[in-house]
Amino acid sequence: MKNNKFKSLIIIPAFNEESNIVNTVKNIKKYKKDFDYIIINDGSTDNTAEICNKNKFNVINLPINLGIGGAVQTGYKYAFNNGYDFAIQMDGDGQHDPEFLSLMKKTMLETDANMVIGSRFINKEGFQSSTARRIGIRWFTFLIKLLTRKTITDPTSGLRMVGKKGIALFAKDYPKDYPEPETNVAMICNGYKIVEIPVVMKERIGGISSISVKKAVYYMVKVTLSIILEKIRKH
Amino acid sequence: MLTLKIRILIIILLLLSILYIVNMVRRKRLELRYALIWLFTGIIVFILTLFPNLIKILSDLLGIYSPINMLFFMGFGLTLIIIFSLTIFASRMSIRIKELSQEIALRDEYIDKCLNKQKY
Repeated sequence: MKNNKFKSLIIIPAFNEESNIVNTVKNIKKYKKDFDYIIINDGSTDNTAEICNKNKFNVINLPINLGIGGAVQTGYKYAFNNGYDFAIQMDGDGQHDPEFLSLMKKTMLETDANMVIGSRFINKEGFQSSTARRIGIRWFTFLIKLLTRKTITDPTSGLRMVGKKGIALFAKDYPKDYPEPETNVAMICNGYKIVEIPVVMKERIGGISSISVKKAVYYMVKVTLSIILEKIRKH
Repeated sequence: MLTLKIRILIIILLLLSILYIVNMVRRKRLELRYALIWLFTGIIVFILTLFPNLIKILSDLLGIYSPINMLFFMGFGLTLIIIFSLTIFASRMSIRIKELSQEIALRDEYIDKCLNKQKY
């Protein structure tokens, strides 16, 4: 008898992923017994919507572009409204390997965690991101440890899973840009347990992911301040 | 002339303002993204008030006779930039609201059409 009484949802935010979206959904097909999925089309201007339509994928088409925070939060609202027990974030560009889905769920159940993060930096395998980004990430790990005494090796990882409490929290409040570090701190400040497991991520296929100097400065300042502010909020 | 009195007054007002802004963001009544430019302006004026020599250098550079005029000129200039960027923001938001309204209306029509089809 199948012992899977849990409703799980994979949230796949997608912006202009016409070249990757079919493969991404195909790759999670083998997990469809245990996981539902929902694509959040963040106002794509390419053929993402048409491709999803043609393939009859489960998709929510946002009427305007909201950015990664707004798109993923839409997924969490969907998870909340439909009574899901678990929600896992996965990028629509194929960087995240769905083979870790079951492992993350298993970890969450075994350790009674509220959130499981797939970290690139525990075993340091697979795509390790650029040096500049790694320095930024290490700064955030340091800052989070300083403020909360918890160590999160990959605070910017978009491959993460939450339980009902996390779903409720994120459905209600989620930052619009660079949401991961801040929301990790929010989970900690609410007394929720975070567990990290090592994962392997792939290099970005198709499309470009560039960041200018101006954006990099804004990113570092904004995320640093949000982490500090989140710590001093009432929880 | 930049007296000690006015410098202290400016610093007190600035600290109160910065605390107010940070608290608004903390209470989620203001987005950090838009508060940053105000905080940045506040910090610039704070530094200039703390080190009047900087103001002297800048005012000589720009050909302004009185340092305190320089301070207010800078504050005013930065405020204008902030207001203009808000104008751009408001403009962009109005376009997004228009698009949102149109999408909702089109979807409503589609839903109505589907529902009416089922009534047959």
